[in-house]
Amino acid sequence: MHVGSVAWLLLVSIGAGALGGALGMASGIFLVPLLTLFGRVDIHAAVAASIVSVIACSCGSAAPFLRSGLTNIRVAIVLEVATTLGALTGVLLAGTLSTQFLFGLFAAVLLVSASQMMTRRREISGEPDVFNPRDWATVLRLHSSYPDHALGRDVFYRVRRVPLGLVLMYGAGLISALLGIGSGVLKIPAMDTALRLPIKVSTATSNFMIGVTAAASGVAYFARGAIDPAVAGPVALGSVLGALLGARLLMAISGEKLRLFFVVVLVAVAVQMLLSALGIHLLGHLA
Amino acid sequence: MNTSLARSQLDRLLGKVLHRGTWLGSSIIALGLVLPMIWPGISSTMIFTRIATAGIALLIALPILRVILMLIVFVRERELRFSVIALLVLAIILAGSVLGIASAKSTAERGPSETRM
Repeated sequence: MHVGSVAWLLLVSIGAGALGGALGMASGIFLVPLLTLFGRVDIHAAVAASIVSVIACSCGSAAPFLRSGLTNIRVAIVLEVATTLGALTGVLLAGTLSTQFLFGLFAAVLLVSASQMMTRRREISGEPDVFNPRDWATVLRLHSSYPDHALGRDVFYRVRRVPLGLVLMYGAGLISALLGIGSGVLKIPAMDTALRLPIKVSTATSNFMIGVTAAASGVAYFARGAIDPAVAGPVALGSVLGALLGARLLMAISGEKLRLFFVVVLVAVAVQMLLSALGIHLLGHLA
Repeated sequence: MNTSLARSQLDRLLGKVLHRGTWLGSSIIALGLVLPMIWPGISSTMIFTRIATAGIALLIALPILRVILMLIVFVRERELRFSVIALLVLAIILAGSVLGIASAKSTAERGPSETRM
């Protein structure tokens, strides 16, 4: 262990965690590109290390959401069946996929994230569809309510289309395990569009689920011996500290310009990842 | 529904466990980083590796612990369906660890040249 590399890993992951925290995303989406492009860490090692920090960030930020009654833990555990299965599939696939493919997939996820960030999430005021007493959400009593402080009362909501949500969540678990990210890219459409959860509930619940999803692949990578403590240790610690910092930043800096800045960053990183997938290194030799 | 009070209690409990666990895990990793620096003479790499691995293991275990806590509450409240769902999630995670160990063994048998990292 070199003090230099530990300091570098800590700094990079504090940065990634702060960026992630300021955006309400997991740090993994910035961490893996930084580690692979600048640190010349092998992408499989970077993914395994990143998974640990994704778990830490999810667990570390869960308490305030839970306390304010926003997290729907019943919805979470039902969907976790799909995300953990997806994660398991991802772990099985990870060894067989080439580095180029993973870089390419990562670039695609970054681009989709960038476009999601451009289009604001909006409450979909859905048509009050026909109430079906036998749909999954009703049978499992997933419908719930959350306290809205602006309105000063509890807001009741219905959960829709659980089967579609499960399919999307399987994909989210798969991507999470393959790329070492929280994979909000698929969770947000699943929660907002398929299940039609209110945005606050969707954010809290997806954050809560990320930990278990990442733990499913984390356990497998840990058992396989793929997690190098010399990388994963400083990275997890740095991400937790960075996420704390990022949450503060989020309150201090205003939204729109920040979003635009991050869209540019996401696209730039995506381009670099794509180039790396094709074997072209513009920045790769800096470190 | 009588679940509202029970629900908020469970939410708080889960939040507390996850929050404290994250701090404990992170502190253990930090200890692993700092200890070799202030205590020269010991085999720093080995000490660091062991302590950091313990911290990492704790962090990975936290969400699993959270599912176990939920399982206990579901069983106590006689929510059969949700008990089965929580068990299923635990079984999938367990399958993942078995899978990981199996693939670690097969990599070891194939020889160190193929070992990733």
